[in-house]
Amino acid sequence: MDNLDILKKEWQSREQEHPKISYNDIYKMLLKKSSSIVKWIFVISVAELLFWISIQLIIPEKNMEIMNEMGIGDILFYSNFVHFTVFAIFIFFFYKNFKSIQVTDNTKMLMKNILKTRKTVKYFVYYNVGIFILSSIVVDFYFYSNSEHLFEIMDFASQGMSPENFASVFIISQIVVGILVLGLLILFYWLVYGFLLRKLNKNYLELKKMDC
Amino acid sequence: MNKQLEHSFVKQLEENQNIVHKICRLYTHDQDSHNDLFQEITIQLWRAFPKFRGDSKFSTWMYRVALNTAITLYRKSKRRVRTQDFESISFKIKAEEYDETIELQLKLMYRAVKKLNDIDKALVFLYLEDKSYKEISETLGISEVNARVKMNRTKEKLRKILNP
Repeated sequence: MDNLDILKKEWQSREQEHPKISYNDIYKMLLKKSSSIVKWIFVISVAELLFWISIQLIIPEKNMEIMNEMGIGDILFYSNFVHFTVFAIFIFFFYKNFKSIQVTDNTKMLMKNILKTRKTVKYFVYYNVGIFILSSIVVDFYFYSNSEHLFEIMDFASQGMSPENFASVFIISQIVVGILVLGLLILFYWLVYGFLLRKLNKNYLELKKMDC
Repeated sequence: MNKQLEHSFVKQLEENQNIVHKICRLYTHDQDSHNDLFQEITIQLWRAFPKFRGDSKFSTWMYRVALNTAITLYRKSKRRVRTQDFESISFKIKAEEYDETIELQLKLMYRAVKKLNDIDKALVFLYLEDKSYKEISETLGISEVNARVKMNRTKEKLRKILNP
């Protein structure tokens, strides 16, 4: 008989000593709030969805005027329509995946469903970052090619700027803003995955490895 | 109706609380974390309780939810200092049964089990609770054959921890 079997025998025959929690104390626990990882994932995911949606909604009116005058107002309107449809599809999948998280599932399935929910949000962010980069390149390229027209619309001449200076300042500031936004996103994901999901990912891989 | 459900739940949990304590003891290193995990397991059990259909025993159903909470859902709120005393287990022993060698062996074995990773710990816990490989595989979501293979490997791992 090996050591584990000796422990098993004793484990079965003797009772472990633990402080007994009373009926009333258990009852009080039912009213407490959960601090489980699922709750945090839900809160963070909803915050991310709201963040990306609100970014679309808070674009200043003046920006739209400039876009209209540059002749791309209609294209923007239709692409925004497609964009919000994609948002709705993502939110639907997020909700569906979130609802499928059940603590009564087997451990592997539970972990899989949690990671699936996170994955939906991850793709949502990839989509937004992708669209952000793509539209920045297209719009910047278009603006750069028509920088003289943009220069006139934005009336930079009154601020003593030359059209050549304006074009380079415009491109450099767009690149700096782009890099900053990407840096913040990477930091955010490093924090979320580092703090919240490290243990879960490790355990999920361990279970997956068992079934290989 | 709700009051009745609450009463039935609390009563059954009170009677079976030792299972939850054993899991908390295995997955935490101090009394505060033990209490936190106990509370989180209670909340998760209570949330899942309306769907408990009674086609299995309450205690059997508890294993799954409690282990899932310990392995998957629970996050320590802050880093706490490990208490060495908490690491070892204390069994209720009748005076005439006391055997120092077995007692020491048990403590060393339990300490070795606590050093395993979360999944291996769950496997060993279910094994100690005399669950069948079928039940173990259904709880963790792996095949029965793989649960058996993994258990043998874990036993080997424990042997190595005890005799490095």
